[in-house]
Amino acid sequence: MTAGGGWPERVLVVWCPGWPEAGQETGTAGDDAGSGGDAAPGAGQRAPEFGPVVSVVEEFCPRVEVLRPGACAIGVRGPARYFGGEGALAAKIIDAVAGGGVACRVGIADGLFAARLAAEHAPPAWRDRDARPAPAASPVHPGAATLVAPGRARAFLAPFPVSALDGPDAEDLAGLLPRLGIGTLGKFASLPAADVANRFGAAGVIAHRLARGLDPRPLAPRPPAADLSVSAGFDPPARQAEPVVFAAKALAERMHNGLAARGLACVRVQVQAVWEDGRQITRLWRHDGLLSALAVAERVRWQLAAWRPGQPGPSPLPAPPAAGQRPAAQIPAPRKAAERAAGSYPGGIALLRLTPDQLVRDQGRQLGLWGDAVVTDRVARAAVRVQAMLGHDAVTRPVLAGGRSPDEQVALVPYGGGGERMLPPGGPGRAGDLGGPDRSGRAGSPDGSDRSGRAGEPWPGRIPPPSPATVYPSPLPARIADGSGATVAVSGRGVVSAPPARMSADGAPWLAVTAWAGPWPVTERWWHPHAARRRARFQLVTEDGTAWLVAVQEGSWLIEARYD
Amino acid sequence: MCRARARTALWSQWPGTHCSGSPIVSSNRPGTTGDPSRFPVDIFEHAFDRVPAMGVETACLTSRPRWRHDEGPVPDAGMLPVLPALRELLPGGLRRGTVVAVGGWGLLCLAVAAGASAAGAWCAAVGLPQLGVAAAAEAGLDPGRLLLVPDPGAHWPQVVASLLDGCELVLLRPPGRPSAQVRTRLAATLRRCGGVLVAAGGWEGAQARLLVARQEWAGAGTGHGRLRARRVQVVADGRGMAARSRTRWLWLPGPDGSVGAADQLTAPAPDMRDTG
Repeated sequence: MTAGGGWPERVLVVWCPGWPEAGQETGTAGDDAGSGGDAAPGAGQRAPEFGPVVSVVEEFCPRVEVLRPGACAIGVRGPARYFGGEGALAAKIIDAVAGGGVACRVGIADGLFAARLAAEHAPPAWRDRDARPAPAASPVHPGAATLVAPGRARAFLAPFPVSALDGPDAEDLAGLLPRLGIGTLGKFASLPAADVANRFGAAGVIAHRLARGLDPRPLAPRPPAADLSVSAGFDPPARQAEPVVFAAKALAERMHNGLAARGLACVRVQVQAVWEDGRQITRLWRHDGLLSALAVAERVRWQLAAWRPGQPGPSPLPAPPAAGQRPAAQIPAPRKAAERAAGSYPGGIALLRLTPDQLVRDQGRQLGLWGDAVVTDRVARAAVRVQAMLGHDAVTRPVLAGGRSPDEQVALVPYGGGGERMLPPGGPGRAGDLGGPDRSGRAGSPDGSDRSGRAGEPWPGRIPPPSPATVYPSPLPARIADGSGATVAVSGRGVVSAPPARMSADGAPWLAVTAWAGPWPVTERWWHPHAARRRARFQLVTEDGTAWLVAVQEGSWLIEARYD
Repeated sequence: MCRARARTALWSQWPGTHCSGSPIVSSNRPGTTGDPSRFPVDIFEHAFDRVPAMGVETACLTSRPRWRHDEGPVPDAGMLPVLPALRELLPGGLRRGTVVAVGGWGLLCLAVAAGASAAGAWCAAVGLPQLGVAAAAEAGLDPGRLLLVPDPGAHWPQVVASLLDGCELVLLRPPGRPSAQVRTRLAATLRRCGGVLVAAGGWEGAQARLLVARQEWAGAGTGHGRLRARRVQVVADGRGMAARSRTRWLWLPGPDGSVGAADQLTAPAPDMRDTG
């Protein structure tokens, strides 16, 4: 796929800014499919069908690679010749996509990586339709397309920070390189390739090739969509899930055989169920070439099960895309409440189609010697399944972070959000390697305070171990009284008004305090108008033998945690 | 997957054997393809490991191993390990496919799960938004192999069943009293997946039950010191071999957050005065 002169093929990337994809903004297709990021039904998270945009781009070049919802790439050489140059091609594509009501940016460069950055960092063509400038008078929207001249990819990439890298273990590298004083791709690219290979291994070599404007892998063009997809019709339409799932297994086998015959594997598989009356539900599942036919059938079952009425959580139906995207007829209308209550598939399923998405060359798969990959796959399947039931954010993984109070010492990262890489490989002792947990949406504290601390660093005033087993997500109100029944107060200088004698947790009966320690006053984030807090913490042991972590803030008592 | 398929194929060739459920699910036990001494090995893996003696072993492979209490000490194959301090309370470990009921939510639940997690098992915690991850890590549970589903909603039995497909051990605090139907269904899932369910709160028909009978915190005085360690008296009973009630004193947690055996007569930990 490499063009003459050793440079990667010229690639054009179409990028639609702000395409919703479940909070995954930076990952590449191979990484972010994230087992559930795009599969989980979640209100406002579900990506609208990117297909319309892809089909618009397909009119220029039939071989389109979808990088992720919101971004696709084509090889530019042939189309540019036909449409009169790269600039003209970019302008035509922008116009055509805009015709569907979707704003996009285009980047053209040597190699996918540079083209992607060029697209993402071009100024926007327009913010929304109303602000659209006067109809294209000039052949090129100057701001919407960034063209990097052939052979100039390395120079173009040089000023980007290393965090722009993608590929296997790129996040580790992006964390490591700045600490070695290598902040930009240009500095990284100037390192000798052999030394990079020695120090950073295979992932480093790929990243180094990217930084030098070379291609880590050839673009795997997407053949016309119908080519490898398989479908089965149901006549009469299936009203129960079982026959559909049964057919799905055979379909998946056919699809795998078709892929294997071409030496391909797919990153994701698209499952599309069409109802008798034409409505359809489509969902992408991560495949990575790893799933058996049975596992694909299982996913079909989950998809149908998640659609049954009575399930909790948000509607699994895709939200209609903003701004009246062109083929809106493909988007199913939300089901009526009466149909949801009926408990069956109204009209029955007439067609089931499996489409392999994001084809890559099948390079075989090396299992971990002791089956590590299998473990991950198994756990991932369970997690994705629960996410399909409850939503993307319902399954989280804890990341130990820095902080003084127990609730600050843990950040919760939704499973599959790319946050797994940040987990410490071992226990808390190695947590110092953590990347900033503030990358993920959930980890940042709601009050916008600094939660990017690291667990391994000293936190003066931290509650020392042993840690409490119960940490209340929101502190419970409490009353703490001294011997005379008056509420215990702590003065600004940290002086306790009287020893605490009784405690009542959240309206529960009074318990006598048998031992207490404190106060430990903390003044945190005094520089922040909203996140600032002054608390004095105590540890109390009550007559039932339970120990509590309580705090007083502005005269009111809170129970932060319980040692039980 | 290749190994798993090879194993499945081998399985289906044996006369007189049958494979219930999904063979791929059953044979993909985490950690079991590794060093057998490090982690208990599923019967399916034994089948593979003992291929040279296949003819001899076939007899015991015709059904899942069913342990009866008159067979004496249980084999390790069907057990998840527990922390050393809990070995006398839970002889042999946690039996795969069973429920362990812990009297209430607390560090004891985390301690029960910690041994398996430290040995490489994946754990999930359902309905426990208040789980103290730092305490779990100090007790020995690896937060890197922990999934949290804080709010499973009304369909928590399905959530638990799904997680049991992937995780060895699921910690659960049921939102209400589980009905007999739910318990039966989860018991079937447990038997199929070979996982262990640790239920905080009561669970009828649990294989083992643990309860904190007495507890005593050390370290805090009246306005001085800080919480250092807790000595608890844990009572365990259960069914079958485990029917006899056993009582042990534990440091739960000890001064560094870990779990250790405590002697009832020992003086409180080495130095309980606050030095900081």
